[in-house]
Amino acid sequence: MSSQPPDPTRGAGYAAGRTAAAAARLVADVARASSETWPDARGVVAQANALADRLEVLAEANADVFAAALVALADPSADLAQHMQRAAALPLEIAEASSDVASLAVVVADRCDGLVRADAAGAAALAAGAASASAHLVRANLTVKPDDPRLQQALRAADDARYSASRAFEAGV
Amino acid sequence: MPSEEELVARCLAGDPEAWNDLVRTYSRYVFAICSQGYRLQGADAEDAFQDVFVRVYGRLDTLRNAEALRPWIAQMTRRVCLDRIAAGKREEPSDVEPLGLEATLEELDEAFAVREAMAELSEECREILDRFFCRDESYRTIGEELGLPAGTIASRISRCLARLRQRLEA
Repeated sequence: MSSQPPDPTRGAGYAAGRTAAAAARLVADVARASSETWPDARGVVAQANALADRLEVLAEANADVFAAALVALADPSADLAQHMQRAAALPLEIAEASSDVASLAVVVADRCDGLVRADAAGAAALAAGAASASAHLVRANLTVKPDDPRLQQALRAADDARYSASRAFEAGV
Repeated sequence: MPSEEELVARCLAGDPEAWNDLVRTYSRYVFAICSQGYRLQGADAEDAFQDVFVRVYGRLDTLRNAEALRPWIAQMTRRVCLDRIAAGKREEPSDVEPLGLEATLEELDEAFAVREAMAELSEECREILDRFFCRDESYRTIGEELGLPAGTIASRISRCLARLRQRLEA
């Protein structure tokens, strides 16, 4: 077990992005395992891997922007508003991409081999958690007001992801 | 996109529009070999690009197999780039190629093949694949922009990818 302390500047946005990326790789694995009986599986694998790549980049970018925002908070001369705007944009993108992972997981759960269906449902749940966490980060941002369209967009992504996860749990039942 | 044989035949028959088509079809490919394969920058890359098409124009009648147009252009581009690098160093023409060149050229060939296959897909497929894979748009955004239910986007992308694969394997 690693004795390294967690890096506090990476934050929940980074963790959400990595979690959703891992969920997307899982969706790709499940689809690949079903490719002999499912003609569209290869297309789903390509989409899941593209989403995973996208989320890994977003997670790293979010960690950098979050660290810069923390520095700006402690520096009275920094342009705090600009840093906070950037810090809201990335969690929104992570929420939307995570919602897409959950949505793709439903497609896979509906069509995959029954032996791996629970993995597809698990991936949908992980992605939904990542979308909820990211939406919360948008809400917690100092520049985002309750009627901000970015917050509405993030909350809708989180709702869609939760709905997808519930559908994935019901698949094959 | 016209076939290579058709394009070569029209060029050799003196059709000026065919030359425009040839340059349009291969310009990004040639420029990518110059800039990504040989790391030529700015004026060097632009000069090499011009040289390649001047040579293609002057020597197209020596091409024995019109189906081999793309590798023929690639080979000519490699020669032009090596000449330009050697000229920059004031040395005799060199055959020493940059490290990783073959892998870069393979990637460029693959990208070119995908581009050609994409051109044969329907407008809707081209649009949907471009939005998802190149512009990183979400299913919801794609659905809103194209007037399609968001829940159907993933399946449409899969079908378009299957058609793209068929074209690539044909």
